[in-house]
Amino acid sequence: MISENQGGAPSIGRAVLRVALALALVYVGLGLGLTYWQVVEAQRLATDPGNPLVVEATRTEPRGRILDARGVVLADNVRGPDGSVLRRYPQPVTAPVTGYRSLFFGTSGLERTYDSELVGLSQGNPADEVLRKFRSDPYDPTDITLSIELRLQRRAADLLEGMRGAVVAIEPATGRVVALVSNPTFDPNRLIDPDRGQAYLQALQGLPEDRSPLLNRATQGRFTPGSVFKIVTAIAGLGSGTIEPETIFPDQPEEAERGFRVQGFTIRDAHRLAVDRPPLDLFSGTEISSNIYYAHVGLETGSAAFADWAARLGFGQPIPFDLPTAPSQVTGGRGNEPGGFRDLVELANAAYGQAETYVTPLQMSLVAAAVANDGVLMRPKLVTAMRSRRGVERRVDPEAWTRVLSPEDAGAIQRAMQLAVEGELGARFAGGAKVPGVPTAGKSGTAELGGRGEPHSWFIGFAPVDAPRIAVAVIAEQAGRGAEVAVPIGGELMEYWLGLDR
Amino acid sequence: MTYAVAHRRWRIRPRLRTREFLLLVAAGGALAVGWVSLNSTLEGDAISYGDPTLLVAYLGLLLVLHLAFVLTGRRTDEILLPVTGLLAGLSLLLMARLPQDTATQSFGRFELGLAPLQLFWITLAFVLLGILAITVRSDGWLRYYKYTWAAIGVGLLLLVFVFGEETNGQRLSLRVGPIAGQPSELLKIILVVFLAGYLADNRALLARTSSRLGPIPLPPVPYLLPMVAMWGLALAVILVQKDLGGALLFFLVFLAILYIATLRLSYVLLGTVLFFAGSAFLYTLFAHVRGRVDIWLDPFADPQGQGFQIVRALFAFGRGGVLGTGLGAGLPEVGGNPAIPALHTDFVFTALAEELGLLGGLAILFLYLVIAERGLRIAIGAADDFRALLAAGLTLVIVVQAAIIIGGNVRLVPLTGITLPFVSYGGSSLVANGIIIGLLLALSDRGVEPPPPPRQTRRERLGAGLRRVAGRVEEAVS
Repeated sequence: MISENQGGAPSIGRAVLRVALALALVYVGLGLGLTYWQVVEAQRLATDPGNPLVVEATRTEPRGRILDARGVVLADNVRGPDGSVLRRYPQPVTAPVTGYRSLFFGTSGLERTYDSELVGLSQGNPADEVLRKFRSDPYDPTDITLSIELRLQRRAADLLEGMRGAVVAIEPATGRVVALVSNPTFDPNRLIDPDRGQAYLQALQGLPEDRSPLLNRATQGRFTPGSVFKIVTAIAGLGSGTIEPETIFPDQPEEAERGFRVQGFTIRDAHRLAVDRPPLDLFSGTEISSNIYYAHVGLETGSAAFADWAARLGFGQPIPFDLPTAPSQVTGGRGNEPGGFRDLVELANAAYGQAETYVTPLQMSLVAAAVANDGVLMRPKLVTAMRSRRGVERRVDPEAWTRVLSPEDAGAIQRAMQLAVEGELGARFAGGAKVPGVPTAGKSGTAELGGRGEPHSWFIGFAPVDAPRIAVAVIAEQAGRGAEVAVPIGGELMEYWLGLDR
Repeated sequence: MTYAVAHRRWRIRPRLRTREFLLLVAAGGALAVGWVSLNSTLEGDAISYGDPTLLVAYLGLLLVLHLAFVLTGRRTDEILLPVTGLLAGLSLLLMARLPQDTATQSFGRFELGLAPLQLFWITLAFVLLGILAITVRSDGWLRYYKYTWAAIGVGLLLLVFVFGEETNGQRLSLRVGPIAGQPSELLKIILVVFLAGYLADNRALLARTSSRLGPIPLPPVPYLLPMVAMWGLALAVILVQKDLGGALLFFLVFLAILYIATLRLSYVLLGTVLFFAGSAFLYTLFAHVRGRVDIWLDPFADPQGQGFQIVRALFAFGRGGVLGTGLGAGLPEVGGNPAIPALHTDFVFTALAEELGLLGGLAILFLYLVIAERGLRIAIGAADDFRALLAAGLTLVIVVQAAIIIGGNVRLVPLTGITLPFVSYGGSSLVANGIIIGLLLALSDRGVEPPPPPRQTRRERLGAGLRRVAGRVEEAVS
C-alpha cells in the first residue's frame, strides 16, 4: 500500500480507483456499441444491398422465383455462360410489378423490394437466423407468391394496348392487388441482356418522361383526377359530418342555370342535366356528376377537414406498399388556408378534382376499395406468401389500415356510385362499366388539363355492390372523356374477373 | 549505482505458479480448439488440424516463459501472462487465415508471410517481456534518468521526422537494415516513464493551488512547464506525422496520470476543453482530419469511397451477429480484394467480432479490462509514488489504446490508425506492449527490493565527495 501521503500529496489509491471506474464505464460503452451493431442493426446490415456478401450472392446464387396467384412463374433463373445467374421473365406483361434484376443496372420493382429475401439472406425468422450460422450454405432463396392474377393482368394490358395509362385492380376485402398495369411498358428480358441491355436501356431513357416506360404510372404517375375525385369529397363531407346523404343546397338549381360564383370565379356543370330539376342530393349529385353540388360539399366541409379526410385515405404521403409510391395530393400546399389551400376558389375546384389535385391510380383504387369494403381501408399488398428453398414458409395476411367511414356512410356512397353506373342519367356517363347481371358501382372522370389537348379518361368502381370482389382504377392519359375509354375498360375488367373460375 | 548492486541478492528458488499454469492451459486449450475450428472451416466439413506448427511453436513459447518464471521464482503477477497470451494467440489465429502476402519480410534468404512474421514479432515481444519480468529488480535506471529518457524520446521522433518513411500518408516508420519500426510505439513508454518520474517528485507541489487562470486553480506554473513542454513537443511532432490515434492516446494517458498524481479534476476539465478546442482547430485546418470526422459521422454518405472501410466493417459486425460466423467463416476477401482495407492492423477487432460474434467481442473487451484490473491493482499496491504512477501509466497505455481503436471500429469515435495491443499485426506495437507487460510484471513483485532511497541532491553529493576527498587527504596525511 502507499504508506504515507508524501508531503501532503493526495492518495494515489483513490485516484487510481476513480480512473479504473472511468475505464470500466468506457468499456461498458464499447460493449454497448458492439451490441448495437451486432444485435440491433445486424439484420439490416447483413441484408444491405451494398453488403459485399449480398453483392456477390446476387451475382452467382440462383434467386428465388416470383409466382402469380396460381403459381405461374413470372421470374426465374438461367445460368449465363460465365456461371453468373441471369434472370428470366416468362411473362413480360408483369414488368411493372416484378421490375428487373440486372447484373449491371441493379434492381427495380419487387426484385428490389424483396432483394434480400430472393437472394436468401433474410427470412424474418430470428430463430432460423441464428441457426443459419451453423450451415455451410448461408443462402436460402425464397420464392415469392404474388396476389397478381396473370390472366387479369394480361386482360388489362390488352385493354390498355396502344394507350398511355394505368390500371390497378384490388380485392377490397383483403387489399390484395390482383392486376397492376402501366403503359407503355418494357421487356425486362431485353433490359437485363448482358450484350444488348445497355442500348435498350439508353433507348428507354432517351424518351421524354411523360412517355417513359420506366416510370410506373400505376404507383408513381400523378394525374389530375377530375370527377372520380368527387368520391374523396363525398367521403370527406359525410365522414366529417358536414353533410348527410339527403343534404341539399337550395341555391344549386339556380346556379346550375347561371353558374356558381365563388369569390369571382364561376363554376359550371359540364352539362345541363341539373337545370329545371329539384335540388341535388348525394345520390343525384353523384349520378349526374354535378361540379356545383360537389363544390358546395367541399366548401361546407372546409379546407382543414377536407385535407384531413383525404389524408386518412392515404393522401399527402407515399402509400406504404411493396413498390415505391408517389404521394397523392389535394392541393399544392403553398396557400395560407388551413390544409394549404390558397383560397376558396382552389378548394371549390379541388372538390371536383381539378385545381392542384394530383393522384396516383393506386390511390384512387384504394378510394374505391375503401368505399366497397364498407369504409375499412385495407393495406394494399402484392405478396401473399413466401417459401424458402429449405421450406421456411411465411404467409402475408391481409391487414386493415384504417377505418375511414362508418358502414352507413360507406353504404350511401356505394348507392350513389351504383346510381352513377346504373341510374337512368348516370348510365350516360358510366353505364359502360355495367357488368351484366351484377350490381355495379363506379364513377367516371374527365380530367381537364387546362386546354392542353384531350382530357384524361378516368374510371373507378367496384362490383358486385352487395359483396364487392374487385375494385378498379383505370386511367387512359389524354384519351378523351371518361365514358369513352376508361369506363368500358373498367367494366370489362370487372366482368372478366367475376367470370373467372378461381 | 552502488546501492543497487548491494541489494541484489540472487537467491533463485523455484516457486510453482499454479494459477498461471491453469490459466495458460485454459487459454492454450481455447486456442487449440480455435485452431481446429478454423482449419476445419477452411478445409471443408471434416475435422482438420491444418499445419499446426505455428500454434505448437506459440504454445511452446508460452510454456517456456511460464517455466522460466517458475524457475526464477519471483512473486510476480500470475494473470497477465495468460491474458496477453490469449490475445496474442487470437492474433495468430487471425493472421493465419488472412492472405499471407498481406505483409512479408525477408531475412536474408528467408521470406516470412503474415502469420509466421507475426509469430516472429510475438516471440520477440514475449522474450523481452520475460527478460524484463525476471531481471528488472531496480527501477533506478528509469527513475533517475527521466530527462535522459525524454531526450531519447524526442531524439527518436526527430530521427523519424528526418529519415522516416511514409506509409498510408503517415510518416511513422524508421528503417534499420531490413526492419522497419515505428518509434512512436516506444515513445509512449518513454512518455509514461518521464511523467511518472517527474510527477512522483513534484506531485505535492502540483496538487497545491498557487495561481489561477480565471476560475481554474493552477499549481505553481514553473512546475508545470517541463511536463507541458514534453507533452506539447510529443504532440506537435505526432501531429506532423498525422498520427491522430497516437496523439489522442498520448493526450488521454497524460491527463489520466496527471489526475492520478494530483487528484485534481480541474486539470482533466481544462485538458478536455483544450482537447476540444484543439480538435476544432485541427478540423478546420487539416483536410484529412475533416475527412476522418465526416466519415465517422456518416460513413454511408460515400460507401464506395471515403466511407468504404468503415461501412465494410459495419457489414462485418452485422454478419457476425451474436454467435459469430465461426473462425474461418468470415469474409476476409471479396473477389480477390480484402473485404476491409487494413484489416490486419486497424480492423482486427472487427474481424474477430465477425467470426466470434458479439460474445467473442465482449470477451475480448473483458480481457482488456482484466489487464486494466491487474495493472491498476499493481499501481495501488506499489511501494512508492513512482512505481504506482509508472504501473498505472503503463496499464493505461495498453487499455486506452485498445479502447480508442475498438471505439473507432464500432463507430463511437472517429477511426484512427493505431493498433489493438497484442492483436494487430505489427512488430513495433507488439514489442512495445511486451515491454509494458514485462515492466508491469516486474513492478508487481513486492518481495524483492525496497524502492531506492531518494537520490542525494547535488549539494549533498558535493558535500559527500568533499568529505571523502577530505577523508583520503586525512588518511594520506596521517
